[in-house]
Amino acid sequence: MIELEGLTKHYPNSKKPAVDDFSLKMAEGETCVFVGPSGCGKTTILRMINRLVEPTSGSIRIDGKDVLSADQDQLRRNMGYVIQQIGLLPHRTVRDNVALVPRLLGWAEERTLKRVQELLGLVGLDPEETGGKYPHQLSGGQMQRVGVARAMAADPPIMLMDEPFGAVDPIVRSRLQDEFLQIQHSFNKTICFVTHDIDEAMKMGDKVAIINEGKLVQHGTPMEVLSQPAGPFVRNLLGEDRGVKLLDLTKCQDLMRRDEGLLQKLQGNPCTIGALQPVKAALEVMLRKDCDTVTVLRGDRAVGALTWQEIKGHIHGLSGEDHEL
Amino acid sequence: MNFDFAAFLEALIHRSPPHVLEHLLLVLVPLLLAVAISFPTGILLTRPRYRPFAGQVLALLNAGQTIPPLAVICIFLPVWGLGYRPAVIALTIYALLPIARNTIAGISGVPLEVREAARGMGMTAREVLLQVELPLSFPVIMTGIKTSAVLTVGTATLATLVGARGMGAVIFAGINFRRVELILAGTLVIGVMALLLDRILTLIEYALTPRFLR
Repeated sequence: MIELEGLTKHYPNSKKPAVDDFSLKMAEGETCVFVGPSGCGKTTILRMINRLVEPTSGSIRIDGKDVLSADQDQLRRNMGYVIQQIGLLPHRTVRDNVALVPRLLGWAEERTLKRVQELLGLVGLDPEETGGKYPHQLSGGQMQRVGVARAMAADPPIMLMDEPFGAVDPIVRSRLQDEFLQIQHSFNKTICFVTHDIDEAMKMGDKVAIINEGKLVQHGTPMEVLSQPAGPFVRNLLGEDRGVKLLDLTKCQDLMRRDEGLLQKLQGNPCTIGALQPVKAALEVMLRKDCDTVTVLRGDRAVGALTWQEIKGHIHGLSGEDHEL
Repeated sequence: MNFDFAAFLEALIHRSPPHVLEHLLLVLVPLLLAVAISFPTGILLTRPRYRPFAGQVLALLNAGQTIPPLAVICIFLPVWGLGYRPAVIALTIYALLPIARNTIAGISGVPLEVREAARGMGMTAREVLLQVELPLSFPVIMTGIKTSAVLTVGTATLATLVGARGMGAVIFAGINFRRVELILAGTLVIGVMALLLDRILTLIEYALTPRFLR
């Protein structure tokens, strides 16, 4: 567990603090996304956790231990760190870049190399083909994969990721996000993830922390934030398509009506959708095939139905306060 | 003044060689001293604690560079007198700037994100310096050393004037006795020395440069 308490950073030559009395708790195994406009202090908060920036006041505890009195270098070796600019060492091969932290930790060479093979495979790179290359011979997406592999090399329980997928094109970004979610599902690390992209925040985060001018504006699950945005700043950040985003986060099986009678009537309905698909996809089916009811399937079996009524009710119930805009 | 080719050959083959070693010492000793002083100073001036002074130190060295080498020797004449030692000291002072400047420029030129990532991975400041900053800035630092080397080969000629001999002895003899053959022979030897030294340093640089930078 990571606990930030009253964290404040005041740079000498600025009037306002970059981070202002920021408190937050992150549970073990949780991905917490810090999101906000550029200059809001989210990166500074991240860099205070691994002490690349020293806080002016406040405390940081990891599993109850005070980070600010720990040895900086040891602390960082036990935290994965990924930055947007990646920062691979240009004079070292991909293999040596990934091996960096294990070697700093004094692992046996054999163990290190085995780990490097394993990690390159994990992030979708061919260890034989890529391992001996230099960073400048890689594409942006490949570099970022190496960056993630390097951060995970010593299997740190905590990963700090600062806009890790910010520098690649949207298609590669989306693929890297998906792959990283897969990896996260199997390793369950505590992740602090910084982004200015609200869609990325909604996709990657178990929890989202919305930050503005160095202050925590709202902290909650993506669903909570979408359904009960705390004030105009959050609403603005979420954008006009809040309802659609919400439908993207809701699975069909969570919203469908389980009505046996209705299902009987719907036999042979050409409009169907998988139970684990987002409601947004069901909406797409309804619009494309021009039908008012979609049958929700689990495998081949119909388990429920979605109608306009459920979808409207879902959006309306959650974003009703938009009327005040 | 007519050119006597036989006299030129005589100057080249018989008069110059004894002075080559003297000249080489007048180049290598100040160069090594300058590296020993400027390289650590340059590193120190890129450390966070001393970085604020980098501008001032460079300005001082720049100013030193604008004083003609002969003047440097003359200024300290009352202190050091004549001979080999004052010449070495003056030439060392003269060779300091390019090395210090390039050391600072080379290390400052290491991309910020690389240093940032290295620190973020948990490398100590020392590890970052030895494993990241120095290997990456090595070509720039070597360029500074080569600049100083070539510069010193030329200015070392003046050492003759304070009694330190070297190739200057041949050239100034040529000037004093209006023997253009001596001047040309001396200049030619100095030119070849400068080229060879640069070449040797380039080979050393190549051998020591990290593979990707080649």
